[in-house]
Amino acid sequence: MPESPPRPMIRLTGLTKHYPGQAEPAVDHLDLEVPEGEIVVFVGPSGCGKTTTMKLVNRLIEPTSGRIEIDGRDVTGVDPDRLRRGIGYAIQQTGLFPHRTVADNIATVPRLLGWGRERIAARVDELLAKVGLDPQTYRDRHPGRLSGGQQQRVGVARALAADPPVLLMDEPFGAIDPLTREALQEEFLRLQRDIRKTIVFVTHDIDEAVKMGDRIAIFGECGRVLQYDTPARILGEPAEGFVADFIGNGTNVRRLSLTRLCEVEVSDDRPVVVRGSGDGGCPTAPGSFALLVDRDRRPLGWAEPGQDRPLPLISHLGPEHTLHDALDAMLANNSDTVVVTDQDGRYRGTVEMATIQTHLHRVGGPGNEGGPVRGGERADRSIGTS
Amino acid sequence: MGFWEFTADTYPEVLGATAEHVVLVLQGLAAALIVAVPVAALTYRSRLPRGAALGIAGIVLTIPSYALFGLLIAPLGLGTAPAVVALTLYALLPIMRNTVVGLRSVDPAVVEAGRGMGLSRGQILRTIELPLAWPVIITGLRVATQILLGIAAIAAAVNGPGLGNLILEGLSSAGTPFAVYLTLQGTLGIVVLAVLFDLCFAVLARFTTSRGIRA
Amino acid sequence: MSTATASTAAPVAPAARNGGNGRPVLGPYAVRWARHLATPVVLGLVLLGLYLYVGAQDLDRIEQRSLNADYLLSRFGQHLWLSSVVVVLVLAIAIPLGVLLTRARMRRYAGAVLALANIGQATPSIGLIVLFAVVFLSWGINTIAVVAFVTYGVLPVLRNTMVGLDQVDRSVVEAARGMGLSRLRVLWSIELPLAVPVMLAGIRTALVITVGTVALATFIGAGGLGDVISNGISSNRDLVLFAGSVLVAVLALTIDWLGALVEDLLRPRGV
Repeated sequence: MPESPPRPMIRLTGLTKHYPGQAEPAVDHLDLEVPEGEIVVFVGPSGCGKTTTMKLVNRLIEPTSGRIEIDGRDVTGVDPDRLRRGIGYAIQQTGLFPHRTVADNIATVPRLLGWGRERIAARVDELLAKVGLDPQTYRDRHPGRLSGGQQQRVGVARALAADPPVLLMDEPFGAIDPLTREALQEEFLRLQRDIRKTIVFVTHDIDEAVKMGDRIAIFGECGRVLQYDTPARILGEPAEGFVADFIGNGTNVRRLSLTRLCEVEVSDDRPVVVRGSGDGGCPTAPGSFALLVDRDRRPLGWAEPGQDRPLPLISHLGPEHTLHDALDAMLANNSDTVVVTDQDGRYRGTVEMATIQTHLHRVGGPGNEGGPVRGGERADRSIGTS
Repeated sequence: MGFWEFTADTYPEVLGATAEHVVLVLQGLAAALIVAVPVAALTYRSRLPRGAALGIAGIVLTIPSYALFGLLIAPLGLGTAPAVVALTLYALLPIMRNTVVGLRSVDPAVVEAGRGMGLSRGQILRTIELPLAWPVIITGLRVATQILLGIAAIAAAVNGPGLGNLILEGLSSAGTPFAVYLTLQGTLGIVVLAVLFDLCFAVLARFTTSRGIRA
Repeated sequence: MSTATASTAAPVAPAARNGGNGRPVLGPYAVRWARHLATPVVLGLVLLGLYLYVGAQDLDRIEQRSLNADYLLSRFGQHLWLSSVVVVLVLAIAIPLGVLLTRARMRRYAGAVLALANIGQATPSIGLIVLFAVVFLSWGINTIAVVAFVTYGVLPVLRNTMVGLDQVDRSVVEAARGMGLSRLRVLWSIELPLAVPVMLAGIRTALVITVGTVALATFIGAGGLGDVISNGISSNRDLVLFAGSVLVAVLALTIDWLGALVEDLLRPRGV
């Protein structure tokens, strides 16, 4: 168990679901606490009871026995419809109402709760903006005219509509192409930093679990939780047997995605040239590069002495990106340096291959020998190495 | 005298009427097949002709049976002729529509492969498209048969043949115990025929569908 | 897929043109509206032509007995009245029954009820009316007619209500329940609106079937426009027969046109 978690928002005690006519229970005496304001990911193979457990929380499935407490209150006895109006719910197939506009979809629960018309309209626009959809454009569309990613955004907005403290999400990004999924994950994490909801997030994808979760509960058969811990601890000290197998190979590289660039020390020893500022400290040594930035210190490209046109900057990463993204970028650009900016897009420094290697070694325990690439060997072929 | 006794006594008439009924329906089906499949094959590829053909067949199917029989008496007189023509007209839409649907659901790549091998339009239709569309066409036939079996009962009202005559005899002897029996014979006869025909079509579909596309 | 669509939709007239799922097989939006506008014009012209043709004939006494305004209007009134009563009863029975049979607890009876209803549909309409007439001799003629026609008209509405409710995406219902909509509210504001296109197709079918079978009411003496056709046959007057047939056909096509219009107008947007 993780040490001193904040106040539990959801507490499951001895929770059991036994379907009549089935030998094994779908969920078996589950004890679990979800701390307030955290994302807890239920992950495991299909049929492991993770979705069942999630649906027990809002009582779409009624438990056979056990207690469900939300915010300290036992909810096994309350009216399930009323309970659900206080819990956001987003699912993989979105379940948007096809005959209702986006705005009407989002307004569903606020209307049930009897909000006023103006308050609802304002809330709809606020939420659409929050999930990255222009209210003007999308408010009156029907779901059929949205892309999969847009539908999923509306689904999230609808789940958040009445500002519930708890959110249940069942593979919300599961049916979406990988690129869009990644963007949605990032956006959602950014959103979560604002709204600090208590979230139960179900997925079968361990990478998604590591990326999204403050904590991960790994489900084995019959709804048993085999390990419940932070992503770092699960990757670092996976429980024997099933969990280790489920996490699989590549643990070391995967662990890189636990570290965000804003937590990494960047090196700033690279020369910087501000465009239009005359010579501005342009490096004299031939063959060395300086970073060209604009007046707001936004990176523009690599300047080489004697060359008029700067070399384009293939990619730069923001504070939300992880070391894993940095490694990806380096491999893709055939470089061992990647430029890092702050959240306003201003140049902050660079991350070098050496930094990544250090991280791999620091967290690496046993089984580190299959490390990724040896970046240093290619150093002299890479842009920006002096 | 009970229903079964009565039927045991009168079974030659019942069988005769049943045979007439079957023949009448089969005549209508065959004529409709001869008209509907070529029309579907000619029109299925372009929207306007296809829409026109299906639209007209749809209008015919919307006309109540008693009215259509009535309209046909003027040119054709009473008896079997208007009955066969009316049944043909009613069977057009189900057969035509399913043929169109079947032909349109043939994978274009298969047709293109056929053309690439040098098959003519007609050969493609005969050897590729129609066999592939056959299960859907046969469903159309099956549906048409069910419709015709019921409508054919009305043929009796225009002096046509079939089980409808037993029903009308029952009506004209209302008040006697035989009224119910006669009506039941005619009605149940048609229900039994419907079930039997449905079975036949299931078997027919099974044995006439290419093994490669059987579900 | 297409096989299934064709077989579920076909035994009845208008649904046959709609592929069973409410999506027209024929052309796009514009073509549909062109037809909506053209149909009443054509039907009006047919009636006008019939009026002029009959007016130009020298009618004998027997023909005059059927082909006069008073007689035709009274038969038309009977026909409409009988049809309306039947349709109202059909809707009142079939829609609640269809809803009931798609609820989780009752679903296990759905197959049996549909099978029974399908056999009912294989029963010839004329057989059913006559059977009711000769079995329930003591009932009034109108009661017999109404009961027989209702029995016959229930199936398309029942089946399309069930199909329409069943084809509602389960995840939509689950999401609604997950947000705290009660069962009744899910039914009322999610399931039924989404089932409306399919249900309307069934209702339109029932309308057309009813108007058509009411033409057979003449056989048991319950009146309606079928009387005109029967008069023509029994008196051997082709003009009467022809006029009666045209009137019944025009009435059925008009009802079908109205049904199509309503279907297009009531289809929820976004579906």
